[in-house]
Amino acid sequence: MVTIYIDGVGYEVPAGTNLVDVAKFYADNDIPVFCYHPKMAPVGMCRMCLVEMGSVEKDKESGTVLLDEQGSPKIRWMPKMQTACTQTVYDGLAIRTNTQQVTEAREDIVEFLLTSHPLDCPICDKGGECPLQNLTMRHGPGVSVFYFEDKMHLAKHVPLGELIYLDRERCIQCARCIRFSDELAGDDVLAFHERGRALQIVTVSDPPFDSKFSGNTTDICPVGALTTADFRFGARPWELKEVPSIDPYGPEGANISLSTRLDRDSGGGIIIKRVMPRQNEHVNEIWISDKTRFGHHHTRHIDRLVTPLHREKNTLIETTWDKAFKQIIDKLKGATSVGAIAGPGLSNEDLWELRQLVLAVGGSEKSLGIWPATMSGGEVVKQVGIAKGSNFNTMGKGTVIVLVATDLEEEAPIWWLRAKAARDRGATVVVLNGRPTKMDRYAKFSLRHEYGDAVGAINSLTAHIVNGNHHKADRAEGFAELQKALKKVKADDRYAAAAEAIAGADNVVVFCGAEGVTLAQHAELMQACANVLILTGHVGRTNNGLIPVWPGANTQGAIDLGYTAEATAELLQNPPAVLIVAGCNPVGEDIAAANLRNADFVIVTSQFDTATTAIADVVLPQQSFAEREGTFTSGERRVQRFYAAQGVIGESFPDWKIFAQVRHAIDKSTAKVSAGAVMAEITKSVAAYSAMGYKNLAQVERQFPDVGGTDQYYGGTAYQNTGGIGVQWPVSAENAEAKLNVVPVSSEKSKAKGLLVVPTTLLYDRGMLFVRSEIMSLRIPPAHANFSPADAQKLKLQDGDMVEINLEGASLTVQIIVNETIPAGVITLPKCLSDQPGPFAPMVAGSIEKVAQALAATGD
Amino acid sequence: MGLINGLMTTIKHVLQEKATFQYPEVERPVRERYKGRHALKRYDNGMEKCIGCALCAAACPADAIWVEAAENTDDERYSPGERYAKTYEINMLRCIFCGYCEDACPTEAIVLEHEYKLSFTDRRDSIYTKDMLIDPVPPGGQDTPHQVEPHSYDRPIPDMENPK
Amino acid sequence: MAYILLRDLDIPDIGKLDVYTTNGGWEGFKKAVTQHTPEEVINIVIDSNLRGRGGAGFSAGRKWSFIPKNEPVKYVVVNADESEPGTFKDRQIMEKNPYQLIEGAMICAYAIQATAVYIYCRGEFWDLAHNLEACIAEAREQNLIGQNILGGNWSCDMFVHLGAGAYICGEESALLNSLQGFLGQPRVRPPFPAQKGGGLYYEPTVVNNVETLANVPWILVNGAAEYKKIGTPESPGPKIFSVSGHVARPGNYEVPLGTTFRELLFDKAGGTGTNKAFKALLPSGASGPVIPVTEQMLDTPMTYEALGKLGSTLGSASFILMDESTDMVWAAYKMIKFFKHESCGKCTPCREGTHWLAKLMEHVIHGEATMLDLEKLENVAKQMNGKSLCALNDFAINPILATLKHFRSEYVAYIKTPAPAAKPKQPAPVKKQLEEVAEPAGD
Repeated sequence: MVTIYIDGVGYEVPAGTNLVDVAKFYADNDIPVFCYHPKMAPVGMCRMCLVEMGSVEKDKESGTVLLDEQGSPKIRWMPKMQTACTQTVYDGLAIRTNTQQVTEAREDIVEFLLTSHPLDCPICDKGGECPLQNLTMRHGPGVSVFYFEDKMHLAKHVPLGELIYLDRERCIQCARCIRFSDELAGDDVLAFHERGRALQIVTVSDPPFDSKFSGNTTDICPVGALTTADFRFGARPWELKEVPSIDPYGPEGANISLSTRLDRDSGGGIIIKRVMPRQNEHVNEIWISDKTRFGHHHTRHIDRLVTPLHREKNTLIETTWDKAFKQIIDKLKGATSVGAIAGPGLSNEDLWELRQLVLAVGGSEKSLGIWPATMSGGEVVKQVGIAKGSNFNTMGKGTVIVLVATDLEEEAPIWWLRAKAARDRGATVVVLNGRPTKMDRYAKFSLRHEYGDAVGAINSLTAHIVNGNHHKADRAEGFAELQKALKKVKADDRYAAAAEAIAGADNVVVFCGAEGVTLAQHAELMQACANVLILTGHVGRTNNGLIPVWPGANTQGAIDLGYTAEATAELLQNPPAVLIVAGCNPVGEDIAAANLRNADFVIVTSQFDTATTAIADVVLPQQSFAEREGTFTSGERRVQRFYAAQGVIGESFPDWKIFAQVRHAIDKSTAKVSAGAVMAEITKSVAAYSAMGYKNLAQVERQFPDVGGTDQYYGGTAYQNTGGIGVQWPVSAENAEAKLNVVPVSSEKSKAKGLLVVPTTLLYDRGMLFVRSEIMSLRIPPAHANFSPADAQKLKLQDGDMVEINLEGASLTVQIIVNETIPAGVITLPKCLSDQPGPFAPMVAGSIEKVAQALAATGD
Repeated sequence: MGLINGLMTTIKHVLQEKATFQYPEVERPVRERYKGRHALKRYDNGMEKCIGCALCAAACPADAIWVEAAENTDDERYSPGERYAKTYEINMLRCIFCGYCEDACPTEAIVLEHEYKLSFTDRRDSIYTKDMLIDPVPPGGQDTPHQVEPHSYDRPIPDMENPK
Repeated sequence: MAYILLRDLDIPDIGKLDVYTTNGGWEGFKKAVTQHTPEEVINIVIDSNLRGRGGAGFSAGRKWSFIPKNEPVKYVVVNADESEPGTFKDRQIMEKNPYQLIEGAMICAYAIQATAVYIYCRGEFWDLAHNLEACIAEAREQNLIGQNILGGNWSCDMFVHLGAGAYICGEESALLNSLQGFLGQPRVRPPFPAQKGGGLYYEPTVVNNVETLANVPWILVNGAAEYKKIGTPESPGPKIFSVSGHVARPGNYEVPLGTTFRELLFDKAGGTGTNKAFKALLPSGASGPVIPVTEQMLDTPMTYEALGKLGSTLGSASFILMDESTDMVWAAYKMIKFFKHESCGKCTPCREGTHWLAKLMEHVIHGEATMLDLEKLENVAKQMNGKSLCALNDFAINPILATLKHFRSEYVAYIKTPAPAAKPKQPAPVKKQLEEVAEPAGD
């Protein structure tokens, strides 16, 4: 801590922090800024933060502060004003912010900015939440002597890609957008062009503004220069009602704010006008991905199911809830076997009620499956998941971030962003995967392994750690066995340095995905990661542990409530007599789900018609995340609330209500009337969730940097968190006494011969909800497969050819991309891009036939 | 004496001009600055003055105004700026005719005119839509939307200046 | 007296390596490398009190001494982005006497133990750049540049880089940005170029002007004491003055610092060459405040300190002379247009201020301005003053403020529209009011 003086008052502040930040946080002194943003390095270009600066005079020998006659410290002032944003605090720093000189400087800068800024606040999307407006009101001169006719006239409708529009007149050249894309997102997509008054923002990428985080630039833009195509002129900010919610797509649990308003075109109902980030410094800070921001259109899509459907003479026809319920209840009562597959977007309340229903009609935990069923290892997470209170914001030097079998930017963009920021602060990144991903650019160790040998790669790490005597076995249960098994492992030398870095690090975080591994292998992979963490002592402490890169927003919640991917695998193999598929589309996505047709009676809750509703006997309209309350559990095991934002579409109901009603009819249990009541029951029944009552989840705290409210000038238009920052549940490793299991894992590779098809995850896919956002349609690539140049040559295929890949009886037509980063012998096939189901687990390809030549095919 | 005084008053008033009007046959003329029903104005070429900024709605103390905006294109241009009012409604039951909307309007698009004969038989009829509020197209003008040459309108708001 | 910098005037072929070597070339460098430690070289240059010739006049030796000793990678960058209007001194050195610059740069590189030297030329100097590259290649063959120079352990290479024609890239941190391939915009300081994190590729870097470095070989050969005998104690050494404009003999003149204006302008440059008298002088291209030429001014010695006292700077010592026929308002307008064009756009006051000033000057030139606009010009200029990252902002207001101060009557003559009265309670006739203001009533 150091002492600084602001307007004559001394404050104790942490050393090495930014002056603008501490003045705001500790002294409540708002130094106005435009170009400075607390999440980015300062550049000092807008000159709005000019303050008088000086240093306290100290006695040269004793180092004591010299005092003047009044008893306050003597200060040597610098002759010129200095920018506060480029100043790091040091002991004895003094500033004055309330003198005439400073006030005039602020007036001058505002006047300069306004000379070229158009007077179109009445139609500007930022008007009402605009930093330039706010600071003009606060610090502006009130009048200007600039001649109105001398104003610049520039282009006002410049598309930077199809998502973001630039208004050149409004731009004040603060470079926040350029710096965000460059420094934080790692996308070199925006740049300054020209100079002087002609300085302007241009996009330098093809396709333009090619970033998965582009929407964030509109939030941090201090004027209305950048607007989203989605919201452009949608409403005035003060007319919008902000409803706290959670990203329904990713495992990061990004906090969002749904801006809602009544809408004539939607029949006068309340709809989501835009999605904004909601500040949660533990989770997503103030960022969200474009998928989260623009993927909300499914909530009010014209194709939403509005009434229950049931099958009559082989077609689905509309019916009433009563009739549908009656049918379901009859079937469930007499069912010989019952199973359920729960989708990734189901809330904990939905999952709980579904579970209770299945158990009430004779099902067991073995019949509760999750979708997508690609990842296992819930037990491992309970032991060594990332410790409670961890925060990427506090990671930097001394931290090692390991990415295992995951393309993090595609699978969990917010984690990618935060991990990369930690890396920029000094953390070491280790990437283990079968192919290079975007994170490899920032990795100190990029380790390639053969697809299917991920477990072997981790075993190599473990062997290096144990052989090099870097391990601490005091908490490891079963270490002797592991040690014995490791003797047989031939440790690959390439892993030695990374193993040493992991063992020697203060903190280690492991992201474990499932790219290129089967479900069975993934269980081993998670255990293998746990072995490394336990043996190096990187468990149970803040900023240490395992983060599974789950495929859905609430996969963690499903696992906590007893659902497993293994159960899904079993259900797909042997479909039960009565199958409930809630909020997912297995038949349309995964070739392994074709078997589900054999179930006698299929109940589906869905928002849309899908390949799965096509095999259903009863289809129940389900509410989207925006129409109801609930909770999601993030991959960091943070349980977070989302709130009802938009009007209900048709006769749809939330899943929990549907299942509670059905169960009530069967066993006469009391049907819960609110999501909160369901959660109250969960808190009593599930130990980990004992603290997850709605009241606890709604707790908020003061966050730094302060964003939102009147402080929009500072952090951008990210919204203040009023909905709760959520509660994490602790893992067993956090109990220092607890023994942790290390288990030898087999690293046998599959022996099948042939081209291995590896399904990969893309952020922008044709998943049944996301595909409804037409604004993103240009970003969703056509169905394609990546071939290595060697394989393409062998098969006489060219970039752009259409091929038919045969896989275990199913076939899939895709365009091929010859990609040098793909290892020979492997085809990577992104999931959910085609209308045909594809593989969800790696498998050997059957025949591959060319169906169309490159040129004819590229038209798509 | 009292009686005479009373009669005098009566006679005086009988001789005076009548203060009442035989409404609805005869209508009382209103003052120049009378604030009656709103009208949405047009430019001489028929283009709408309203740019859909919703400042009138923000200024309205009775929450009577509802605006939804949309973007002009060169093929379908309603107003000279970038944006126009796609939906513009005033609930006349709520309106208190204070004229704040007129003050708030940056383009002088909304004006409280002299029309005061507002009556409805249904609550829903009290909502005046844009079609009902907007002035007729002036002679020589053309009804919106206009199809215009690209880039002939590139200002966000027409004629907006510093407050003098 | 023999020339020190413009040696090509004495020895026409000094641009050839063998001619340069036979005429005492590379002696200073060889002496430095073989007889002195790097610290000694720095001390000699500090002793000589050689002041940077780029404009700021900072002691070159002290600049070198700021470089941390223990960093493995250090650079010397030669600022050959000579883009100040009316400045062409570096050009002559590079064109006619390139080895003196190369030698000076190598001495500097030795003194700070640099790993590489970059010569950053302005874009228009492409032919000079090619010539320099050829010279460097020849010197490399002689083992004066490259690996294990002169058989020692020290290795240092030299490269030439062309800018893209931006005035701002003469500012050292913008130059470094440009050299790194970024937009030519000044950097936030600290860290300064001499510090780790502030220089070229974020390594400690010395940035020196061409002329500064060209002084160094002579100092090494003849010693600091000899050097200090030239010029004045505070500003020792020879200096090239680029004289242009309304003079009989424009060109580069090498004279010791401390020579009077009169000597340079009349004895060397031959006065105006017409029957008109000098009116004003721009001492540092466009960036220094204009000085009216008066008798008293002509007797001022040309040193860094003396020009400070005149309310101007020596800067790059490029004198643009203007005779009586010059319209000072027009000149100021040209200069502000120049600065508006060259502002990099990073800082608000400079980006918007130069634009605004140019607009106002346009109104003045076109006779649309009022007396209030003159006030406005002054106010806007003051509003910009001292608020930006680099000095371009402060340079940009110089032509306006100085001409307004010294030649206000010329501005007033431009004003055709009756001014809205500055004090509304004096409804004086327009003509009278103009006369009143026209009097030199200070600023």
